Amino acid sequence: MKNETAWRGFREGVWCDGINVSNFIKLNYTQYNGDSSFLEGPTERTNKEMKRVKELLIAENEKGGVLDVDTSKVLTILSHEPGYVVDKDTDIIVGLQTDAPLKRGVSPFAGFRNAVQACNAYGYEMSDKIKNEFTYRTTHNTGVFRAYNDTMKKARHAGILTGLPDAYARGRIIGDYRRIALYGMDYLIEQKKYDKAKVLDEETIHLLEDLAKQLEFMAQLKTLALSYGYDISKPASNAREAIQWLYFGYLGAVKEQNGAANSIGRIAEFLDVYIERDLKEGVLTESQAQELIDDLVIKLRLVRHLRTPEYNDLFAGDPVWVTLSLSGVSGEGKHMVSKTSYRVLQTLYNLGSSAEPNITVLWSEHLPQPFKDFCAKVSIDTDSIQYENDDVMRRMYGDDYSIACCVSAMKTGKQMQFFGARCNLAKVLLMALNGGKDEKEGVQIAPEGPVFDEEVLDYEKVLDAYKVYLKWMAKLYVNTMNIIHYMHDKYAYERLMMSLHDTDVERLMAFGVSGFSVAVDSLSAIKYAKVKPIKDERGVITEFDVKGDFPKYGNDDDRVDLIGKELVEYFYKELCKTPCYRGARHTLSILTITSNVMYGRKTGSTPDGRKAGEPFAPGANPMHGRDCEGALASLNSVAKLNYACCQDGISNTFSITPEALGRDDANRVDNLVTMLDGYFHQDAHHLNVNVLNREKLIAAMDDPTLYPSLTIRVSGYAVNFNKLTRDKQEEVVARTFHQGM
Amino acid sequence: MNANIHSFESLAALDGEGIRFDVFFTGCPLRCVYCHNPDAWFRSKTDMSAEDVFRKAKRFKPYFKNGGGVTFSGGEPLLNAAFINELAPMLRAEGIGYCLDTSGSVPLTDAVKTAIDGAEMVILDIKFCDPDSYKKYTGGNFDYFMAVGRYCTQKNKRLWLRTVIVPGINDTEENADRCAELVKEFKFERYELLPFHTMAFFKYENLQLPNPLADTPPMDRARLDALSARLQARLAELRSRRS
Repeated sequence: MKNETAWRGFREGVWCDGINVSNFIKLNYTQYNGDSSFLEGPTERTNKEMKRVKELLIAENEKGGVLDVDTSKVLTILSHEPGYVVDKDTDIIVGLQTDAPLKRGVSPFAGFRNAVQACNAYGYEMSDKIKNEFTYRTTHNTGVFRAYNDTMKKARHAGILTGLPDAYARGRIIGDYRRIALYGMDYLIEQKKYDKAKVLDEETIHLLEDLAKQLEFMAQLKTLALSYGYDISKPASNAREAIQWLYFGYLGAVKEQNGAANSIGRIAEFLDVYIERDLKEGVLTESQAQELIDDLVIKLRLVRHLRTPEYNDLFAGDPVWVTLSLSGVSGEGKHMVSKTSYRVLQTLYNLGSSAEPNITVLWSEHLPQPFKDFCAKVSIDTDSIQYENDDVMRRMYGDDYSIACCVSAMKTGKQMQFFGARCNLAKVLLMALNGGKDEKEGVQIAPEGPVFDEEVLDYEKVLDAYKVYLKWMAKLYVNTMNIIHYMHDKYAYERLMMSLHDTDVERLMAFGVSGFSVAVDSLSAIKYAKVKPIKDERGVITEFDVKGDFPKYGNDDDRVDLIGKELVEYFYKELCKTPCYRGARHTLSILTITSNVMYGRKTGSTPDGRKAGEPFAPGANPMHGRDCEGALASLNSVAKLNYACCQDGISNTFSITPEALGRDDANRVDNLVTMLDGYFHQDAHHLNVNVLNREKLIAAMDDPTLYPSLTIRVSGYAVNFNKLTRDKQEEVVARTFHQGM
Repeated sequence: MNANIHSFESLAALDGEGIRFDVFFTGCPLRCVYCHNPDAWFRSKTDMSAEDVFRKAKRFKPYFKNGGGVTFSGGEPLLNAAFINELAPMLRAEGIGYCLDTSGSVPLTDAVKTAIDGAEMVILDIKFCDPDSYKKYTGGNFDYFMAVGRYCTQKNKRLWLRTVIVPGINDTEENADRCAELVKEFKFERYELLPFHTMAFFKYENLQLPNPLADTPPMDRARLDALSARLQARLAELRSRRS
């Protein structure tokens, strides 16, 4: 299929003969080695739209976080009339989830009760119409609980396995929305029909039904676009259309699905090809190019899902994770920074700092210096971006992967993920000491083993017992995930997103751990200090008496850091022993999002000296205040963890005061770039960077109006600080801030 | 040989160029009234060999790209000149340079000279600008410090100067002028004034030490900026007069 008009001026390649966006980008993108001086500020139109957006955000905040909910009908691709932020003529990139900005829709496919509770939490009542529709419908949630066994339920209740997507949609799937712009829907539909015709044997009936569902929703997406006055059946023929086509795909996805993370993928360098062509043809100015990107980003900032308060406990700050991955390096070693990589970052100045989209710079030593400097400047000014190591991920995922959610890499349009929350490593350790009993409720959950009776815990014995219970945990975890994703495919399949994947998609099953640093320091305490277990009247170990000092994770000390490295490697190996649903490949993350507070609440006192209920450190971070040799020692400890067995990401959040980072703006930029290079040079995976003062956060806690758009990076994403609950704000403030003295 | 170590700071961005790995030794010949590391006056439980410190420092080499390296601080690093001289060749072999963050209040022995010779830069604290104040507020020997400053100048060593400004003690224009006058015989790249702060007061409490400045407020930022401007103006004036 050749398209003379839409593809005019593009270099041809294999992308012309079949879907291959990566090939198209590599043949056509324009590398940019210059600095940020070409960037333009916001247009008058953008300012006008942003004024409206700010009013809406204030109104949303005043109404307790939810502006409006349409409870009359179920939110789907075609459920609502077109909506606009300002109006049809002012919005350049069009499309909202419902007929009005920030009005949320109801999506009960993943869990009906959850949807009812979410309505009620904000003072709404689900309509009888929806209730009737779902009376005879099985949701994902119902399906999962039909299949769960007692042990799974107990493990879930105790909080050893927590945050599982068994009552909400799994998310983390990224449609390759670029395909719509490049090929048009008709060609994509044609390809899927061809794939469907090839499916013959019984084994693949599942796939056959998947494809039928995909085709149905592909047709609906065309209708959605038509309702806004656009025909997306053919490829996009200019930059504005390319952005609009791509955005329609994303919009359809977030209308159909309310998954935990709805990321948009690696789009900047792709869009840059269209922008460059328009600039060359003289039909677009730099200011207009920036305006297009600004408007796309405004739309992305307005995406909302209706959540329950319990959900917010796991994922605080009402995130959507519109993760947008930038730059990186091609397989041929050429950096992929384009002017549009800069334009995306510039939105943080033109529109103000913001948590969404979750801008993720795919960092490489080979990125051009001016771009590195600009990223660092944006970090220092806005605390809104995160960094992930392209040099490490490229080895595993090639050069056209995108990040979903916080740190989850997947080949765009070629891999999907079964998201699996996390299991609590600290709690499994307590369970091992208590012979399989939960230390909080005293209930037997895992197979019964001996309770540790010694006066002083013996490291080798503890480690052996821990491994026995980790083994048990791993098997239970994989089997639980298999149920969840079987049911999700069955009852809440991501029809549109999956239609924008190759039919023979590779599947990853993403497991996770929490309480990492607590478990590691606890083992270190047992090994290097004297830890005496103290039992309560039930005979359950609930406290520890720790005598002597012990090395703590976060000080670049191999004695403890290697305990952590080996712990993760062991657990991953154990996970791999139980096969995954649909032949998925096991991956693992050390990421907690903001659930480290909730996990801590569910976990008793630990041998590292942490008291019952106290928060864990987030992700792979060392425990607050225990890293006492400064920021880089802490980074070096995290850098020792092995990405090869944590291919779903190793999250690290770093906060430093401006004064400690350098003596002036230029010096801070220089030092931050050097720090990122140094960290990633050691094959570390991820870093959230905050450059701010603790005092500023405390002031914002006491008076949120002081800094209405104060954005901070937490575990793998950014949040508006004012949207966090008090206990999460306190936990953020308690985190180690690296400051010079 | 071993040295007694107070602590390490792996991200010190102010004590030299680029990102610094600070090694804080214990032990100091001075007892400055405004000291913010009084805990470094006393021996710690940590004795380390030169190899130990080298192994630690080497771990931060990936971060030294933009001119960074090791900074020896304290306490008084030049009390450990022999130790530094044992460590220096190991660092040099790895391409890691070091800075000395010193008060210069030690006799200029051969070991001290060697330590200075091997440094890429010296950050010299000018505690006070006249022998009497120096003695009164630090207990130290002004002549030692001047000798170290002169030696650095004679050796063309890169030199940064610093003075802590304390409210009610040296926060005057006259003092700024005196500082400018004092350093005219030194060859240096910059001269910074640092504000006295109260963030280290807790250390005096923990150590149950009398804090001579317990009632002194932190140095006002605007006032410090004014004094810095005065100092820079005087330095410029003296420089132009010389040329």
